[in-house]
Amino acid sequence: METSSAERLRERLSAVLGAQGILSSREDLGSYAFDAFCEDRLPDAVALPRDAREVAAIVRIARDCGAPIVARGAGTGLCGGAVPTAGGVVISFSRMNRLLALDAPNRRVRVQPGYVNLELSRTVASHGLFFGPDPSSQKTSTLGGNTATNAGGPHALSYGSMSAHVLALEYVDGVGEIQRADVDDAGYDITGALVGSEGTLGIVTAIDLRLLRLPRDIRVCVAAFPDVESASETVSAVIGAGISATALEIMDRTIVGAVEAHFHAGYPLDAGAVLLLEIAGEQEDVDYAEGAIAKLAREFGALSWRSAATARERDALWASRKGAAGALGRIAPNYYIQDATVPRTRLPQAVHRVNEIARDHGLTVGNVFHAGDGNLHPLLLFDRREARQVAAVSSAGHDILAACIALGGTISGEHGIGYEKRETLPYVFTPEDLATMQRLRDVFDPARHFNPDKIFPSGAVCGEVRAPRDAVAAGA
Amino acid sequence: MARCARRATRSRPAPNRVLATTLDPGGFALDERHPKAAYAPATDAEFAARLRACDANGEAVVLFGGGTLQGLGFAPERYDVALSCARLDAVIEYEHRDLTIAVQAGCTLAALERRLAAHGQFVPLDAPRIATATAGGTLAAGWLGPRRAAYGRPRDFVIGTTVALADGTLAKSGGMVVKNSTGYDVTKLYLGSLGTLGAILRVNFKTLPIPAARRLAIARLPEATRTRAAEHVAALAVEPTAALIVRGFADEVDGRDGVDGRMLLLFEGSERLVERATRELRSALGSAGVPETQLIDAGASAAFARIVDAYVSSRGRRSATYRSAGVPSDAPLRLEAFARVARVNELELESIEDARTGDVIARLSTASEDDFAERLIAFDGERRTVLSEARVIAAPATARARLDVWGAPPASLPTMRALKTRFDPNRTLAPGRFIGGI
Repeated sequence: METSSAERLRERLSAVLGAQGILSSREDLGSYAFDAFCEDRLPDAVALPRDAREVAAIVRIARDCGAPIVARGAGTGLCGGAVPTAGGVVISFSRMNRLLALDAPNRRVRVQPGYVNLELSRTVASHGLFFGPDPSSQKTSTLGGNTATNAGGPHALSYGSMSAHVLALEYVDGVGEIQRADVDDAGYDITGALVGSEGTLGIVTAIDLRLLRLPRDIRVCVAAFPDVESASETVSAVIGAGISATALEIMDRTIVGAVEAHFHAGYPLDAGAVLLLEIAGEQEDVDYAEGAIAKLAREFGALSWRSAATARERDALWASRKGAAGALGRIAPNYYIQDATVPRTRLPQAVHRVNEIARDHGLTVGNVFHAGDGNLHPLLLFDRREARQVAAVSSAGHDILAACIALGGTISGEHGIGYEKRETLPYVFTPEDLATMQRLRDVFDPARHFNPDKIFPSGAVCGEVRAPRDAVAAGA
Repeated sequence: MARCARRATRSRPAPNRVLATTLDPGGFALDERHPKAAYAPATDAEFAARLRACDANGEAVVLFGGGTLQGLGFAPERYDVALSCARLDAVIEYEHRDLTIAVQAGCTLAALERRLAAHGQFVPLDAPRIATATAGGTLAAGWLGPRRAAYGRPRDFVIGTTVALADGTLAKSGGMVVKNSTGYDVTKLYLGSLGTLGAILRVNFKTLPIPAARRLAIARLPEATRTRAAEHVAALAVEPTAALIVRGFADEVDGRDGVDGRMLLLFEGSERLVERATRELRSALGSAGVPETQLIDAGASAAFARIVDAYVSSRGRRSATYRSAGVPSDAPLRLEAFARVARVNELELESIEDARTGDVIARLSTASEDDFAERLIAFDGERRTVLSEARVIAAPATARARLDVWGAPPASLPTMRALKTRFDPNRTLAPGRFIGGI
């Protein structure tokens, strides 16, 4: 925005929110210029609303001033979804971070969007309840951000992603009106359409969530394998055999080395890959499932099998897994993480292709992924100060997505499209598919004030990417 | 890698079942309204082209699956053409080791169930009349069954769709993967839209393994035992996947009522788990003053299907059924409200109270057809204040036009109208049939 327009925007926001409700110094704005993706752009203002009424006022002011509006949770997103690429107002929910109402008998809770994911399960545990989606960022990521990206996490395998857990939403629409939608309302499922829309359809101000009853028995096991392929084959076999596990996660040698150096949870360092699995439920079923999975693991060449003996050991194994990306800082200054998903029988092929692509580009890759869902997270390690490495990472990332699409998969399992993958979206969807999605946007935000530059390809490139779509399918 | 080779399959209707593209419109009357023409297109492209032509000609279209839930909603304002999915009934792709299946919209739920059962899998749709109900129709109707508290809603098992919009656009969303955050989840809008936004032509489901054991427990509830029995069941360590308290439905649902009705509980899991659940259930019900529990094992699935069928079963033209949704803890209050208003209007009440989802299904009837419509209309007027959210799920055509079949519209109705305008600007698809006359 021009300096004078930005100044007017800040003045008007300040008049409504008070001095505590707006950040405008360059240093403060700098903290909201980026998320976990390597793209940054200063916003013109950061608004810190306290309730839905203030959010509605912010939206109306921003509209009047022609300023884009970007909602931001904790900024842990990996695709640039919270980066204010066109400037404007960032709405931070750091002051809308409360649990509003808990209805334990009916297993429902209402939270503000800034409420932290992990905090929810901790808070409701005393009622014998927990919250299903558990992205690895759950210590800091917020339920508003989780809703925007349709986040999943390791336990999405059993409990599903956010869309299966959001029961109702309060949101501010494109004209600054407070709206409410409930999955039990008669009529169109507006709630379902809003989940995963990455802040482009409305600004969520309250979320009703479904809670689950804590399982009585939770078992966490670790199987060591000679390589990622054999671990993946085991996971495909477990799924195909219909054995119920609540999480099936794979880490390769690179990742295990990094997490062991950091967390010391006791993962085997000599294995090519480890399978971390969790089974939950009643003891009879847990015993059965562990036996059945261990048998399959042996058939696919497992080198060892270990079952966590205590809750502490179990928690340590999980803490390592969820801290894997951070632990990689020990072996490379930067990493680039992918989020492609493939049909689960294609997992071994997908992992094989990922490793080939990394090798062809001269890159080190660490594989840590939600194997049970077919959701890959290859981490390409690089140093962003080296231009050649950056180019190689970009090229390899593209090739990985293309390979996964060719295997019948898609480009995001749980992180969303954001800024990063918007030009790749036409590889998955036809112009007609995308135009239909835009009809939805026309209804909620016709002026495109909410999170511009996200999800959908920029117009100029849209036509150009048609050609690679065919090339991708043919080339793989 | 060879063992991962994709085994896609495509089944075609047997030659003697192939329908003509043009059908007799007489079979597609809706609330005594008759279309001028009826078609069963054989391909997605043909379906989309037919829809586009109707849209261009200003002809109103009602979409048909098996027709089992066409009793939902208002009668259409205009009705020129029926478009049936009957010829789009194939299983498009089933990779059982992925636990995913793609079917055409006209695939019946019975065919889907059989196909999945061959590999020990199922999709918990819990819809009635599966022999004729179709995948597309059931989802378009937004059907919700009793096991959704345990397994999730039907929408949670739909991982992708292909839809024809009124202008003939063929659009897909989602895909064949079980975890997906790629683009808008437009699919959610079509599910439950009663064919007013687009025609669902293809549905991709994720599936579940069929539990090793399934047992239906039925207990007659003696006088003044209902509340305690429900509390004890809610505290069971092994939760039933469905927990229903039924009153009436003697011809449709297994078991016989005590003074407080009867409880039907479905347990699913390993054999050992179901055995333990049974022991704990008997003990829990015994201490609530419920002496006997009948168990059905081999016929549990069939008995459960009979319960689901009962949701929309009618007693000729002298009954109507409402569904009230809400949290489980206030289900008894909503049931009591139904009972009160039914009493005032001298209607017999039969009910299915769902302790896990909070649904209350209420079937109202009279002994004779003569004065039923009049009493029902009076009932419907009075219930608007105490059960404003309840919806009619089955009622005779003669009475439906005068009932508040959708219940009070939610505050989001203007947004819903805007969606309709953007997806179907000419109001070609089932005009007037949806909530608020959308």
